[in-house]
Amino acid sequence: MTIGALHVARTGLDAQSFKMQVIANNLANVNTTGFKRDRANFETLSYQMMTQPGATASADNRYATGLNLGTGVQLAGTSRIDTQGTFATTGNALDMAIDGAGFFQVQLPDGRTGYTRAGNFERAEDGTIVTSDGKPLIPQIQVPEDATGLSVGSDGTVSASVPGQADAVELGRIEVARFANPSGLQAIGDNMLVETTASGTPQVGAAGEEGRGSLRGGMLEGSNVNVVEELVDMIETQRAYEVNSKMIQASDEMMKNATQTL
Amino acid sequence: MDRVIYTSLTAMRGSQARQTAIANNLANVNTPGFRGEIAEAQSLWLQGSGIGGRAVSAEEVVGADMRAGTVTTTGRDLDIAMKGDALLVVQAPNGEEAYTRRGDLMLSASGLLTTGDGSPVQGAQGPVTIPPADSIQIDDQGGIWVVPTGGDPDNPQQVDRLRLASPAGSDVVKGLDGLFRVKNGGILPDDPEARVATRSLEGSNVTATTALVEMIEASKSWDSQLKLISDAREMDSATANLMQLPR
Repeated sequence: MTIGALHVARTGLDAQSFKMQVIANNLANVNTTGFKRDRANFETLSYQMMTQPGATASADNRYATGLNLGTGVQLAGTSRIDTQGTFATTGNALDMAIDGAGFFQVQLPDGRTGYTRAGNFERAEDGTIVTSDGKPLIPQIQVPEDATGLSVGSDGTVSASVPGQADAVELGRIEVARFANPSGLQAIGDNMLVETTASGTPQVGAAGEEGRGSLRGGMLEGSNVNVVEELVDMIETQRAYEVNSKMIQASDEMMKNATQTL
Repeated sequence: MDRVIYTSLTAMRGSQARQTAIANNLANVNTPGFRGEIAEAQSLWLQGSGIGGRAVSAEEVVGADMRAGTVTTTGRDLDIAMKGDALLVVQAPNGEEAYTRRGDLMLSASGLLTTGDGSPVQGAQGPVTIPPADSIQIDDQGGIWVVPTGGDPDNPQQVDRLRLASPAGSDVVKGLDGLFRVKNGGILPDDPEARVATRSLEGSNVTATTALVEMIEASKSWDSQLKLISDAREMDSATANLMQLPR
């Protein structure tokens, strides 16, 4: 026995529960450096034609509009909202934030290049600059063991004072990659994004040039999750879930009455 | 036997179709730009001998509720909300011109600009393809401005303009793909006065409370038809008892 309303309401429950998962992930990452919130996109499922407009209803009548019944909703996908997160000063020299568009490039263990907004870098034992979980930054920059007063300029220049030299020494330059369609990048976890055909190819170059954001040393970009906004979304989703379950209940009641009465 | 149960049956079919339409409205309570559907019954009078007191009911989706939905600011560059009753012109899967209120625009891998459900939006010369760009902005008249790769961020160039149509004076109906079309064919005129709110998105215009009340109403109408059918059965069995030959 198929009952239209029951299945349509089920698609509503499914979609709302997916949306809840997206919201939960946003909220869980509210303190993740460089995290960009996702938004769940819904789309209507196709319509089913039950009665064609203009079909003959009886000898003298024709249906004026017909009966097209919708079959519910589905989650079309999620889109990343790439607004700027808030900056926080940390004072740590190797913490960097990108002010504007672009990503840091990181060497992934599988050989691919990962792109990230999380700028909490560290110095590894061998003097290279790595992410907090040890993935090397591209291009690799070697920091001498005895270097002090490390600083990152807005164009990505990393400089430090080395004993025996009066002026600060330029150790290298951090490059920023930007994409025509950053929403097309695929998130693979660990704050990392990878290139896809949708994102286009990266345009790598100095920070602060050709639309790339400039770097801010000693600062971190927080997540762009707005807790209040997520909570409002959460309430809305919860209520939408509730009305759909009410619909399931109502359809069930209808069937129960029918089976008991007839 | 009384034919009343067949009349009731048509009403029950109607309640079920109506409940499905309401379920679809409720399922799409969070779909951007969704327009709720209005299901109504109409009576079809049966011709023939007899007193002519019977009309079966036929449920129809008479159209979509075109009231505006709530607009929220999202901050995303490609989100637009049409102001007033303006409709965004898109290309339907069969190549026809169709209309939508959905404004969460996306960029596909090939640079084609589509709505969130994948319908390509129409510019002055057909579907809009965005060249590789540093940034994309949409102005309040639907103009699409891009900063080409490596270009001056302060000097964006207009690549196209989203077509916005006015449904004033025409009857638009929702098709099987959820897009609007002019009833009985034809296209809507472009509206140069139409404006969009940028970085905003229009939600669904389904009000959950109204839909819930309608849902209860549809359930109750189903129940009352059931009551009629069981009453008809009692009447029939009472008649049969009365006419039974004494043993």
